[in-house]
Amino acid sequence: MSALVLLAIALITYGSRAAAVVLLPRPGARFEMILSRIPAAIFASLATATLVGDGGRLADVPVLAAAAGALLASPARSLLLCLIGGAIGYAAGAWLG
Amino acid sequence: MVLQSLPAAAAVAVFGSLYGAAARAYLGAPLTLASSVIVYSGALQFALVALLGAGATLVPLLLTAVVLNLRHLVLGAALRSRFESGPRRRALLAFFLVDETFGFAIAAGNAVEPRAVGATTERTLLVAGLTLWVAWLVGTLVGVLGGGLAAVESVAGAIFPVLFIGLAALAVTRPSHVARAVAAAVLTAAVAVLLPDLRMLAPVIAGVLVALPGRAS
Repeated sequence: MSALVLLAIALITYGSRAAAVVLLPRPGARFEMILSRIPAAIFASLATATLVGDGGRLADVPVLAAAAGALLASPARSLLLCLIGGAIGYAAGAWLG
Repeated sequence: MVLQSLPAAAAVAVFGSLYGAAARAYLGAPLTLASSVIVYSGALQFALVALLGAGATLVPLLLTAVVLNLRHLVLGAALRSRFESGPRRRALLAFFLVDETFGFAIAAGNAVEPRAVGATTERTLLVAGLTLWVAWLVGTLVGVLGGGLAAVESVAGAIFPVLFIGLAALAVTRPSHVARAVAAAVLTAAVAVLLPDLRMLAPVIAGVLVALPGRAS
């Protein structure tokens, strides 16, 4: 891959980031309501994507246990508690696995 | 904010080292480092290395960049209403828009009074973005120089689902968001099982699909 191709890929990437942030006008109330529903759903999806691989292959037991620990801590709505729950879950999963 | 993003930064650095070690064989050290400086997208950079390893030509490389970057349009749109600054500052902030920084910015904005949302969101995106960018660069450099962080890959790999679950919890502002998040997770798992080729796009597709039903008022 040449430097020129790399530059093109960098421009595509930056363009995709800037398109909505820079060019999109502030959304109206109705559109904003729909957009407000997206973050939690995307994060839940991203978490799932890190746990379930191609063809349904699951992550290793400690990683699944870490996710379970974070999930148990999630009602507290604290990132720190989720990280602690995840660490405890990972340790438990590594010990069991 | 820097403190909050440190676990993510540590994980990003580990994966940066794996990327640096893998990419050096195909790009050489200078281009590998340059790619992390100007692209700053782990998923895309790993995909490019895999494609180069498979002997891909120009068109598949560029198409992959377009497809994998589509999610930024959705992330940017979801953040847009929270920005208050002008286009120049937004253009600078846009460089730091990645999955994790988007999450930190949304969570930080949700935690403050309405009048402080704009400044808090922008400051968080900048600080978290810089922190993770530096971590990605340092990791890439370590990998290029032959440093081995592969031993901690499993631990680093566990940080991302934990982080995303925590960010999902912080992003919930209404009870209905929980049901939508669960639906999106199920949809993503189904895509991974049934349509593995679309797995990389599944989170954004699922996130948008579950956001659409219901009253928009």
